[in-house]
Amino acid sequence: MGETNKQVPVTVLTGFLGAGKTTLLNRILTEQHGKKYAVIVNEFGEQGIDNDLVVDADEEVFEMNNGCICCTVRGDLIRILSGLMKRADKLDAIIVETTGLADPAPVAQTFFVDQDVADRTKLDAIVTVADAVHLSTQLSDHHEAEEQIAFADVVLLNKIDLVDESGLEVVKERIKKINPFAKIIHTTKCGVSLSEILNLDAFNLKRILDTEPDFLTSDHDHEHDDDVTSLSFVSDTPLDMEKFQDWFSKLLQTKGQDILRTKGILDFTGENDRYVFQGVHMLMDASPMGKWPEGKERSSRLVFIGRNLESMNLKEGFENCKSA
Amino acid sequence: MKADSNKFPELNKTKFENRGKEFKLRIPVTNAITIGNSVAVGFGDGTVRIFRSGQISEVIKAHSGVVLSISKDGEDILTGGDDGRFLKISLDGEIKEIANFGSRWVDHVTAYNGSLVCTSGNIVYLWMPNKKEPKLLEHESTIGGVAFDSKGRRLAVSRYGGVTLWKKDYSNKWSSSNLIWKGSHNKVIFSTDDRFLVTSMQENQLHFWRLKDKTDSFMSGYGAKVKSFAFVYDSKFLVTSGSNDAICWPFDGNGPEGRKPICLPYVGNKLVTFVEPFPNENAIFTGLSDGSVFLSEIEKSTNTIIIRSFTQSEVTAIAVTEDCSSILIGDIGGNILWTSIWDEEEK
Repeated sequence: MGETNKQVPVTVLTGFLGAGKTTLLNRILTEQHGKKYAVIVNEFGEQGIDNDLVVDADEEVFEMNNGCICCTVRGDLIRILSGLMKRADKLDAIIVETTGLADPAPVAQTFFVDQDVADRTKLDAIVTVADAVHLSTQLSDHHEAEEQIAFADVVLLNKIDLVDESGLEVVKERIKKINPFAKIIHTTKCGVSLSEILNLDAFNLKRILDTEPDFLTSDHDHEHDDDVTSLSFVSDTPLDMEKFQDWFSKLLQTKGQDILRTKGILDFTGENDRYVFQGVHMLMDASPMGKWPEGKERSSRLVFIGRNLESMNLKEGFENCKSA
Repeated sequence: MKADSNKFPELNKTKFENRGKEFKLRIPVTNAITIGNSVAVGFGDGTVRIFRSGQISEVIKAHSGVVLSISKDGEDILTGGDDGRFLKISLDGEIKEIANFGSRWVDHVTAYNGSLVCTSGNIVYLWMPNKKEPKLLEHESTIGGVAFDSKGRRLAVSRYGGVTLWKKDYSNKWSSSNLIWKGSHNKVIFSTDDRFLVTSMQENQLHFWRLKDKTDSFMSGYGAKVKSFAFVYDSKFLVTSGSNDAICWPFDGNGPEGRKPICLPYVGNKLVTFVEPFPNENAIFTGLSDGSVFLSEIEKSTNTIIIRSFTQSEVTAIAVTEDCSSILIGDIGGNILWTSIWDEEEK
């Protein structure tokens, strides 16, 4: 029964009400793609989806009783994913729709915290549908909108037919300022090939290396009045593993609530392997990822997306990790 | 037990397998319930099959998705499904729909003497005998489990933050009180003597309340979530899954606080995924993540015999018939063993 051990990819679909999530979900459910997708929708979502594989859920955010604030998970998701895994017919993917006002972090954290969920399913990617017309206002008015952009692996910038070129540029700049590493796809009526949003394996550490060219380039300017921002750092000097672990674990422990997402590729003194990691708030997934490619410069690169990053002395902390 | 059966379990079929019937259905077994000397089994494709006198029944197409929960009301089977339906099924396969919640799942079902209960989301639906409309008991979060006590006067409902204990007075009015413990509570059961209430939690631990004084404590140390647990017939032990041993907590006297559990080890260091007490004995059937099943005496761990060798699929159901003559074992891979417990000469 090898197939029962296969992890089913789960795509988290976020976005404000009216951005086009339902249009996209309907396409996923009705298009002739020969695949079996289950869709978990929330009670307050838009109407108009009717399918056997649509599951109604209440978004229930649970704190674990271990006292860790960042270990908040979606209890309903644990229940429903466990139930879906008992199905006789195997699903090709599961899509979790979240309400426009939901914080995507507990959804992502569920895949780190719950062993059953982690054994049978895997977080594939967070896809955020954004309304090209209204996103700027939403970003200014609702911190949830910023978080949804901050957590996104893919932003579907929808309704681009309703904005002019300069308007589009403004919105794109806004997205990039919050999250320079999300892939932005322009759509009208969510017209996107499903292969661009499903089965991306964005949370696989290996994929972080694959997408390397686009991500982790240099410091991004940001404005202080922006709430969620990103900062990245590069070092050609190898890092001291002990110093880094010390700094980084303390940082996540104390500032993990403000740090939404982290990703990095690290070069440690005396280590032949590349170390790759990613995190959601305090929770981290890290692993050596094979040797550095021959003939390529070794360097460490690190990115933070979050709030109040300025106050964390990140640059100084990172510099102090360099081997003497 | 043959001396060599522990050494090469993959090569040897047990005597129980040899004399029983094996079915390779390739459909995940989700649950099973004993009704007299029959066993009803729920599957991941929404079907129910009934096993009796060594035979398998016709396939009963009950739900369109997964049979999420199973229970019984007298001679009838009760099931809840991920198609949103709450069904009553007779042993002849006749299906009666009691309720349909559409895209909301029916997570848990139970019954007591004609009072039928199902849960969907955060609501308990309770049908009193011969009443058409259910009474709705609402809770602040999704229900993790539901259980009647042995007299049907109390209904425990586990949820996030603890358990709501509903009590029926003699005019059939229900009132509730709360047993509070932080965290998410899943399955809930009363001890067979109704003195204790036990829940499994999202964390790898169990919580219990002694009902006479509402003192509570937890049982921890598990490597995995405790999904299967049950009291032996006289409540002397609570037997639990979630570890490589079957962990048996003493619940005689004042309960397990300050006392050590008995740990029953099994060869191969596999996770215990299902436990089922042997009726009227201090003994349990233990199902493991590799599909193997053992029978152990709790206080004499050397008295362990292998019932089924491994299938590579975790055990998800074990049911023993009321007359203790037969046992049904099911796993996530759809392998079923339906066999007599006693040798011919032992009967």
